[in-house]
Amino acid sequence: MKHLIKLTVNGEEYEVAIEPNRSLLDVLRDDLELTGTKKGCETGDCGACTVVLDGKTVNACLILAVSANGKSILTIEGVAQGGKLHPVQEAFIEHGAIQCGYCTPGMILSAKSLLEENPRPTEWEVREAIAGNLCRCTGYVKIVKAILAVAEEMAKAPVA
Amino acid sequence: MSELSVVGKALVRTDGLRKATAQVTYGVDFKLPGMLYGKLLRSPYPHARIISIDTSQAEALPGVKAVVTGKDSPEGLFGSRINDQPPLAREKVRYIGEPVAAVAAVNEATAEKALGLIRVEYEEITPVFDPKEAMRPGAPIIHADLGKYQASPIFCHPVPGTNIMNYMKIRHGNVEMGFAQADFIFEDTFTTPAQHHCCLEPHAAVGQVGLDGKATVWTSTQGPYKVRTESASALSMPPSRVRVIATQVGGGFGAKGRAKLEPHCVLLSRKSGRPVKIVLTRHEVFTATSTRHPSVIRIKTGVKSDGTILAREVEVILDTGAYSESGEIVCWEIGQGAAGPYQIPNVKVDAYAVYTNKVPAGPMRGFGWPQIMWASESQIDIIAHKLGLDPLEVRLRNALEEGSVSATGEVMHSVGLKECLREAAAAIGWDDQRPPNRGRGIACLTKMSVPFLPSSAFVKINEDGRVGLLTSAVDIGQGSDTVLAQICAEDLGVGLSDIEVAVPDTDTTPPDMGVIASRITFHVGNAVRLAAADARQQVLALAADMLEASPEDLLLADGKVFVRGSPDRALSLAQVSTAAFFQKGGPILGRGSFLDEDVVPTDPDTGQSPKPCPYWKYGATAVEVEVDPETGVIKVLKLASAHDCGRAINPLLLNGQIEGGALTGLAYALWEEVVFDGGRITNPSFMEYRIPSTVEAPNISPIIVEAEHHAGPFGAKGAGEASTIGVAAAVGNALFDAVKVRIKDLPLTWEKVLAALEKKADDDRKEA
Repeated sequence: MKHLIKLTVNGEEYEVAIEPNRSLLDVLRDDLELTGTKKGCETGDCGACTVVLDGKTVNACLILAVSANGKSILTIEGVAQGGKLHPVQEAFIEHGAIQCGYCTPGMILSAKSLLEENPRPTEWEVREAIAGNLCRCTGYVKIVKAILAVAEEMAKAPVA
Repeated sequence: MSELSVVGKALVRTDGLRKATAQVTYGVDFKLPGMLYGKLLRSPYPHARIISIDTSQAEALPGVKAVVTGKDSPEGLFGSRINDQPPLAREKVRYIGEPVAAVAAVNEATAEKALGLIRVEYEEITPVFDPKEAMRPGAPIIHADLGKYQASPIFCHPVPGTNIMNYMKIRHGNVEMGFAQADFIFEDTFTTPAQHHCCLEPHAAVGQVGLDGKATVWTSTQGPYKVRTESASALSMPPSRVRVIATQVGGGFGAKGRAKLEPHCVLLSRKSGRPVKIVLTRHEVFTATSTRHPSVIRIKTGVKSDGTILAREVEVILDTGAYSESGEIVCWEIGQGAAGPYQIPNVKVDAYAVYTNKVPAGPMRGFGWPQIMWASESQIDIIAHKLGLDPLEVRLRNALEEGSVSATGEVMHSVGLKECLREAAAAIGWDDQRPPNRGRGIACLTKMSVPFLPSSAFVKINEDGRVGLLTSAVDIGQGSDTVLAQICAEDLGVGLSDIEVAVPDTDTTPPDMGVIASRITFHVGNAVRLAAADARQQVLALAADMLEASPEDLLLADGKVFVRGSPDRALSLAQVSTAAFFQKGGPILGRGSFLDEDVVPTDPDTGQSPKPCPYWKYGATAVEVEVDPETGVIKVLKLASAHDCGRAINPLLLNGQIEGGALTGLAYALWEEVVFDGGRITNPSFMEYRIPSTVEAPNISPIIVEAEHHAGPFGAKGAGEASTIGVAAAVGNALFDAVKVRIKDLPLTWEKVLAALEKKADDDRKEA
């Protein structure tokens, strides 16, 4: 039997009728066609499907969509606002932190969440915060640099 | 060379903005109206005859639109250079996971359910899993038709009636004489495990076949033309009736260079009349795509007491699994590389790629060279320690340099090896004093480029003066769209943002042999230069008419053509191309093709050639490690990776390639192994097969060395694979330096280190 659920994704409200065994990842990708959230393993190991659910980063593949009923979700599609990139997105581009780009949406969301909770992380804190997001292309060097660079910029010019 | 304005600059990648905002469509994202979802039924047996397949119940399931088996593609075989693989098994299956049937249904769940309704009757055949056993007389024969398969005579020397899919030899000088003159002879056997590519994006493709029979495939691929050739071969179609369009690719590393799902999508679409999408699960990617070749490598080396190498004899046995995949050329290259990047007067190599009843081993970043360099560079270290010499000095003493003669008889050009060694060593403080349990290690690397792989490019000048660049090189993350656009922009006197790079599509973009073998910068880069030169010549000829000047007096820069010495007599590229478009003979279209025509096929009996490949890459990896004697854990404190790339077209992207490749190499050294129980993979998930995350990965120092190549675009060679290659030996050598244990079997897990330390303590006690 299908369940009718309400999700607020990137500030927009959606109502979808879904089978109770569907993951949040599949509903985002297939029903809402928000394919920026990536599917890498479906077992919560790779972090490619990282989204922010009511302020916390989660692996969308491990969340049943019905359990997200009434909740608010941020995906990569909602990170740039009004045509303006988030500083983490800008830093990823500038520092060469993107290669194939498949881990990038999840990485950016994990990094953004980290910096919101801890605006001045140490290198180790950055590494721990994104340890759940696997990348096979970059060796992580430039990803870590990009995130630390954002933290440094934020410290110089506090967000108004 | 005159001052360059775009080439050599650390520019950000042109697709960065799209990727940072997820405005790109990967294979897994691609969708068409009316699309069905396909699933593959796979063999549960490593080796079995197919007695019968009954698909009637599956076909009757509501929502199922097509079921196909080997009978739907009764003849065609495909492969890289030896065609030995059917898209769906026919008389027999050769590995656990081999596709036996395929289903298309309205959704994945229905397709999955239908798989369970297909009844296959098998009769098991004795399997063979160990390549050494598979080589023995009397071993079960996996491919009875080996002698009949279509194969490239340059690279393939199969031994019909056996499981030896390829056998390659090097005979250079006289090894017996070399060993007779040696002061010391070393003989060691090294092994390497299967490693998995672990692309974050699983394999995914969509196929659509019209009633006219023309097939179109959108696929996450490194090689659209390769997929076209192989799919056409598998399905007995003319290649031009298969159109392959590359989607965005979420990682390749060799895993996506060849046909995998595409023939199945085509078969299902042909039968159902609707587009069909197949996306592999992570479990399928692990168990049924391909791995790096496991190997057993025996090396015997004769040296003088000063460390000069006189002779080397090598036997390589590669476990190539059930199908050739690309194992034939991995074997060929590993043989070519067995002498290492050294001047050795006497060399004998025998390399075998052997079929077993396991998932096929195939191309993976480094292509045989991580295996051979692990063995070769570990033994160089053993030799140095035995002779009481500095391992760095032994390498510098024997290293190839400009003008050296290689083990295959080539006079070498563009050899930055010694500089790489010195720079990598310096970066980790080679001569620093180190506390107990810390050690330093260094290893050389080299890799050849694969010969006889053509590339081509088209350049069109649009009516607005902006430039369209059409090639079939897929940017799989390595940054080739940016690098090729830089080359094009440089030659046409425009900016990087003036170049529009087309999506690779075999109906429109010109032929290319794929994003493999670190070949794109060199091969496609050269084709782009030729195409740009052609377009430039057309621009100048037309502008000369329009400006009433001679073409030789014209300059092309900043998007303008102007008369030398009179900058006010100028036309914009837009004016020239618009005039061409509407007034003079049509649009400006430049064409360039590149093939390494001076390459000479290697002699089948000796492996000798004055030029076996277009160019060689060189590099060195140096590491400092700390070993915990209580746990056996090796911690990498410093990792420096130096590369002779000819010339860096884009240092930012090149450094990214070096860093990423080095981590894959480190994972090969320390952690990763596809574990087999017979023919079954027992760790097919990211939970059981751990790739390094940020907390395991060390900081990596990339170092760029530029020994320009006369035939490279702006002197460039390639770089994508190199940094993966030498890491394992550098770590193994540092382990020895730190705690005096030598491990010859990868990976260097804490269990092996601990066991080796305990054995050493036992041995030391017995000696005392």
